[in-house]
Amino acid sequence: MTSPLLSITGINKSFPGGVIALDDVSMEFYPGEVTAILGENGAGKSTLVKILYGIYSPDKGDIFFQGKRIVIGSPIDAIKKGIVMVSQIPQLIDRLTVAENLSLSLTSVGLFESMKNVRRVFKEISDKIGIKINPDAKVWSLNYTQKQLVEIARAVLLDAKVLILDEALTYLPVEERRKFYVYLQRFKEEGRSIVLITHKIPEALEISDRIYILRRGKVVGSLVRENATLEQIRELMFGEAAKLITYERFSNPYEIQVGEPIIQVENLVVEGEYGEIAVNKVSFKARAGEIIGIAGIVGNGQRELLEALVGLRRIRSGRVIIDGVDVSNKGVGVIREKGVGFIPDQPLRYAVSAENTIVENIAALFSRQQVVINWSSMIEITNKLIKEYSIYPPNPNIHVKLLSGGNIMKVVVSRELEYATRALLAYNPTRGLDEATATFVRKKIKEKAVGDKVSIVFASEDLDEVLQLSDAVFVMNRGVLYGPFDPVSTPRSKIEELMVM
Amino acid sequence: MIPVDLLIDKILPAFITFYLVSLGHSIFEKSGILNLAIDGIFFAATGAAILGAYLLLPIIPYPPIAGSVLAVLVSILLGLFMSTVLTFLPISHGAVGLSLQFFSYGVGIILGYSVRMRYGTVYQIAYTREDVLELLVISIVIGLTLHVLIEKTKLGVAIRAVGENPHSASALGVKVMHIRIIAAIIGFALMGLGASLFILSWQRTWDFRQYSQGYGWLAFATALAAGRHPIMLIPVSLLFGGLASTQTDISASLKVPTDVAKLIPFLAALILMLVYSSTGLRKIFASPSSLGKPYYKEEKSI
Repeated sequence: MTSPLLSITGINKSFPGGVIALDDVSMEFYPGEVTAILGENGAGKSTLVKILYGIYSPDKGDIFFQGKRIVIGSPIDAIKKGIVMVSQIPQLIDRLTVAENLSLSLTSVGLFESMKNVRRVFKEISDKIGIKINPDAKVWSLNYTQKQLVEIARAVLLDAKVLILDEALTYLPVEERRKFYVYLQRFKEEGRSIVLITHKIPEALEISDRIYILRRGKVVGSLVRENATLEQIRELMFGEAAKLITYERFSNPYEIQVGEPIIQVENLVVEGEYGEIAVNKVSFKARAGEIIGIAGIVGNGQRELLEALVGLRRIRSGRVIIDGVDVSNKGVGVIREKGVGFIPDQPLRYAVSAENTIVENIAALFSRQQVVINWSSMIEITNKLIKEYSIYPPNPNIHVKLLSGGNIMKVVVSRELEYATRALLAYNPTRGLDEATATFVRKKIKEKAVGDKVSIVFASEDLDEVLQLSDAVFVMNRGVLYGPFDPVSTPRSKIEELMVM
Repeated sequence: MIPVDLLIDKILPAFITFYLVSLGHSIFEKSGILNLAIDGIFFAATGAAILGAYLLLPIIPYPPIAGSVLAVLVSILLGLFMSTVLTFLPISHGAVGLSLQFFSYGVGIILGYSVRMRYGTVYQIAYTREDVLELLVISIVIGLTLHVLIEKTKLGVAIRAVGENPHSASALGVKVMHIRIIAAIIGFALMGLGASLFILSWQRTWDFRQYSQGYGWLAFATALAAGRHPIMLIPVSLLFGGLASTQTDISASLKVPTDVAKLIPFLAALILMLVYSSTGLRKIFASPSSLGKPYYKEEKSI
């Protein structure tokens, strides 16, 4: 038996407010192996890797690298040891070029050195692992896959001995993911170690040699891949709630009667953060009771499209018509007034005020027209939502910042679904929710569409979610909307192809 | 045609002052810290400049350099305080910047007042007219060097990275604190040097009431109007410095009150900013994305 390359023993970490993220966690990572760490949202996966990468420091416990006890005080400490992390959101700086980003990690490049050497090394590495990216391209001009490729190239460049993938491949379509597996295979063969963080069980089963399962900050299972099954892992991750998980379609398209068009979008053009065209001549229609699902890899204009629809982003040309009224550039107030719910990406940042209580966050939307807020009726709504969505802790007067990520998402989703009387616009409506809660939320969305004849337009990076929920599927790639496709008869591979072409 | 005397005595010294101060301010702000202390730093450095020059007057025959050196040191000290506090603690840049501004007004008065009471004028310790051209060349060389440093070297990349997104920069391997300290030293040294020239080359007089004249804020506006770009700062500093140093001439010839003439640079800064943000120019002249945002090292997020 070889000895582990990296191991942790008795790691504890808690956050202000008494949240215990990790409770006596011990793990071992062997050379030439892929180790997966699985867990539902809030299980402590992210906290653990942030400790391994020097972003957080543990309250208690030890880290051993090649048998020696080490302290990782900052990411640069980790990098120097050969521990490199690639996360779900590329940690690259958009306004800098690829070469400039890479230079920041290279200790061999002096402070007063130019980018010449970085460019040269990047070219060499790119040729070796077969990627074609211009080192002088600004990062914002790259797509998601390209950014992740740059991150992988960075890991190779840094001669990583331990590569941590924090949901780095989770949101890539299968085809693209397979390409990454080729690099990872080579990585393994060179005696390096890979740590794969994910909440998707199939991904872990596809590639890992060893699997750890975290639940509420504790290691509840340690399996070797050959003996592991999806059901067994689900049971360990979710306990009782595992039974609720399903990816079956809720119904066939148009089984229910769809009504009149509610949202009409005509030739919409919207600019992105850097003045580039993010949404390119997009047109579609969403009718009452219909669910439109937009598949696509992050950063292909979905966010800009939804923000333009709800009035948060300026429309350069084209029109948005809601209930027969042209609302293009009329502002978010007018559009919300029509009974439009909105679930943005990164809800903690854009959907709630963390410093306020749940009921205050509910009132902010429902009492937006009132001068004096009727608190008793707001408490009533809040209590109803807390009960319906089992928000924990069930106290309307608790500050949102004290809730876990999943519960914050529940506050947002429940509020917006309750508010939506005509339409709901959503981006990744179940992002950050564990499988059991995500299934529940998707069911709620479907019920809302069918029961209240609400028109729903949502974008998601999770193709399973799009296929499960949509009556019509679109694909967004580089600002262009392709579709509609029938979610039942269209082959999955065709949709995936459109996502990455 | 602009008379040579006006050029040498007023316009060029004003240009050099504004160029150096706004250049230093720009480099510092590129690291993501909002510098609302600028006017206070400016005044504190002027006080240090006359103190330094007079202290060494009996020892060395030509003391303005000593004045500039002390101004640079005092300015760096204040800058180091600001950058370390704001990187170490997640607190408001506005609150720290403005508090430091008023504190620095006090520092300026303490340093400069007794000297002023004793000596009156500063002619005997000021830079000579001949020095102006040398100072001009030095300033432009510093500006060009810093432009190359910011755009081409790893240090420049690191400063920009920290200003864009300190979290990503840290994850990439940048030591945010180190880089901000380096940016503060470069930036505040230039602000101190520029402010010393305000007294020792342009105004040639020091008065504690100068702190209410807002020349520091004018340098702030200069940096904004030039999009913190070392090359772009040259024409903008010349324009604003020219306007500021010829206010009385302008108001006399246009028959407008001096206070209205004083408005012009700020108005120009606002208009230029509007132009940048609404056109493709924002790609070059945009503010750093994280400018003024408190930096939390450990943040619990979803």
